[in-house]
Amino acid sequence: MRLVRSLVVVAGLGLTALSLAAVPALAQKRGGTLVQITQPEPPTLGSYVSTANPVGQVASKIYDGLLEYDFDLKPLPSLAESWTVAEDGKTVTFKLRSGVKFHDGKPFTSADVQFTFMEVLKKVHPRGINTFAEVTAVETPDPQTAIFRLNRPAPYMMAALSGYESPILPKHVFSQGDIRTHQNANSPVGTGPFKFVEWRRGEFVRLDRNADYWKPGLPYLDRIVVRFIGDTGTRAAALEKGEAHIAGFGAVPYNDVKKLEKLPNIQIVTRGYEMLSPVVELMFNTKKAPFDNVKVRQAISYAIDRKFVIDNIWFGFGKPTNGPISSNFAPTGLYSADVTNYNVPDGVERANKLLDEAGFPRKADGIRFEITHDITPYGEEWRRFGEYTQQALARIGIKANLRYEDVATWLKRIYTDYDYDMSSNHLFNLADPVLGVHRAFHSRFIRPGTVFVNGVRWSTPHTDQLMDQATIEPDAKKRAALYAEVQKIVVDQAPLAWTHEISFATVLDKRYRDVIVSPLGLFSSFDRAWRE
Amino acid sequence: MRGLRLIRFIMTRLLQAIPVVLGVVVLNFLLLQLAPGDAATVLAGEAGGAPPEYVEQLRARFGLDKPVLVQLGLYLKNILLLDLGFSFRNNAPVLGLILDRLWPTLLLMGATLLVSVGGGVMLGVIAALGVRTWRDHLISVAAVIAYATPLFWIGLMLILVFSIRLDWFPTSGMEDVVAFHEGWARVVDIAHHLVLPTITLSLFYLALYTRLMRATVLEQRGAEYATTARAKGLTERAITLRHVLRNALLPVITMAGVQVGALLGGSVVVETVFAWPGLGQLAYQSLFARDFNLLLGIFFLSACLVVIVNIIVDVVYVLLDPRIRVGGKT
Repeated sequence: MRLVRSLVVVAGLGLTALSLAAVPALAQKRGGTLVQITQPEPPTLGSYVSTANPVGQVASKIYDGLLEYDFDLKPLPSLAESWTVAEDGKTVTFKLRSGVKFHDGKPFTSADVQFTFMEVLKKVHPRGINTFAEVTAVETPDPQTAIFRLNRPAPYMMAALSGYESPILPKHVFSQGDIRTHQNANSPVGTGPFKFVEWRRGEFVRLDRNADYWKPGLPYLDRIVVRFIGDTGTRAAALEKGEAHIAGFGAVPYNDVKKLEKLPNIQIVTRGYEMLSPVVELMFNTKKAPFDNVKVRQAISYAIDRKFVIDNIWFGFGKPTNGPISSNFAPTGLYSADVTNYNVPDGVERANKLLDEAGFPRKADGIRFEITHDITPYGEEWRRFGEYTQQALARIGIKANLRYEDVATWLKRIYTDYDYDMSSNHLFNLADPVLGVHRAFHSRFIRPGTVFVNGVRWSTPHTDQLMDQATIEPDAKKRAALYAEVQKIVVDQAPLAWTHEISFATVLDKRYRDVIVSPLGLFSSFDRAWRE
Repeated sequence: MRGLRLIRFIMTRLLQAIPVVLGVVVLNFLLLQLAPGDAATVLAGEAGGAPPEYVEQLRARFGLDKPVLVQLGLYLKNILLLDLGFSFRNNAPVLGLILDRLWPTLLLMGATLLVSVGGGVMLGVIAALGVRTWRDHLISVAAVIAYATPLFWIGLMLILVFSIRLDWFPTSGMEDVVAFHEGWARVVDIAHHLVLPTITLSLFYLALYTRLMRATVLEQRGAEYATTARAKGLTERAITLRHVLRNALLPVITMAGVQVGALLGGSVVVETVFAWPGLGQLAYQSLFARDFNLLLGIFFLSACLVVIVNIIVDVVYVLLDPRIRVGGKT
């Protein structure tokens, strides 16, 4: 006989947040248009079928989620007013907000939740297929209640319920026809603070204020226009001139960010990426000599001067690291600093010693061996990072030849053909290690043809097992302990060399306030943003 | 009689164009197969990764799991039915995507042709009339500089000077997205946005036509008919404007015909710098996304346009020079 102890999360927390927003500390004003630059143009606005970054930047203004999150990654009420997780972690009950309407005027009910998770996210969402794999049914005893039944506990699921990650769709619109090619993908209907008006391809998406938004008095802005400008120089010029007001995620390269920062009308914000947490890694083809040798991998990790990389390539926007889990998870306890530290002053000496021990002595010309390093094809800083890596490797007697290809070719080489020696990449940690970290070194993710997973093809039964346990462990402390051990092992074994956490820089016009107010930053709804 | 022959000529040329266009389609299709990676990989890559089930789902939906020849056959069949297919990446029919971009492209192309051909002919004549004077030298040097300067650099410099420093023109885009003007105000707004991209794109061709026009005018003025006119006692000015100009225009028209083809794809740089929503950018993006349906659609349309423009150029020849006959000897 098991008593179901319910972890009741009272809506109070969220209500405080809401009322705080409503208190006119800095007399918010209604009105104004915010012009956001998103790069590149999204291929679709269907954030339920595509998790591409630009899609989220637009769709998150249109769709709400069951939950929102604060900067400590704690959940707050949104379309769900409150929720309870059963003690065994296999039942989650959401109390839904009443009186919420979709943009077409139809009411939001538990049927929409049932449809969204069971028929859409579980089936066609690139990450949802994994995230909601344990959800077997969503029951709807009444229009204001949705009960999630799970096969096994899935604590990470609670971190993936934002309007960006799991947008709630209107069943009456999306249940007709094939969801994958649904015509409403590009004329979305949600419950969010802004309504879709028009998408002129190659130019802009126009979103107008939703006057019937369920948060009283919000949003403040009349309109958001998302513009697409292909050239980096022009993007900076538009921001400088005040034609556009916000741009984030590398849309403005760091050297331009530094220039814009000096202008009186512009501020640079680095908050608002806490639920994404990209960590830069050097990838080794661990099935191939000499990278099958752990000492070679460790040596290369020692050879990278993290501070130099951050200061000179990422213009100071970053933080040195050694492990796969971002320090943004420190508040939740999942981040552990108790790992091998490769970021030491005598790194080069240690690296040389390790390579000697590994059986790769320097030859007469000072070279130990020669490899090809594939540069990540994502723009300027990645090219420079590749060039830096070449120099760092030269210092420890490894001759690296650089190769630069376009994105599709590079993805195929690294994640399908495994035809490489070394490369680099950055994986987003996302809202939970299960969603963003496991994929890099769990055996389940050695899957040719699937990108951004275990392209180094390294795994051990022990680390697999630890991660599997952590996946279903509902107790936060025990979970943290499991991840601490995982981090210790993988950092020591170095199938990847994690070098630094990237801080993206958002360029923001100073006339606009309360724009970045959540760990999802540009992926949040901007309902509280206002113009002076 | 001449009108009838002209119509027959146009019809024949159109019929001849069909195998040409189909050949272009097949060639493009096969060439694109050489690019490594496919649309499913890129989509998954942009999404920051996706489970293999999802990627397989995508491939099956895009028809990428079928053999290449089957894919080609299906594509040709659809093209013959004038069905350009569906862009899975954009989740929209190809035809609609292209048509949306067509009028901004034609607008920029038309404005550019007007400025470059008009300006080039004028400057070329002025230079030729005053050959080896300061006017000629000034125009010739300016033309060489404009010819040699990279487009993107000109574009960015124009933005820097005329948009940021002087605040005369907007930096980019096709219209003001804060105001959203309507009616005539919108026309003015679009024209305002059109100025900088047109100047940037025109400069190169302007230089080209200036040099071409100058050279042919000089050449024609030495021709026997010009000597005859001179003997009749006509002024140099009248000879140039009445007789030489018409003959000198022929090479420029030929070049302009070629330029139209180049403008369709070659304006990628200017479209990107000024965020102009044209076909060039669309083609560029779809190549990197391996969105081949869309890319092939653009190629198909471009091929059709080039064929049509060539026919128009031939007809213009006839109108300019009565000695030229259409349809060969009959």
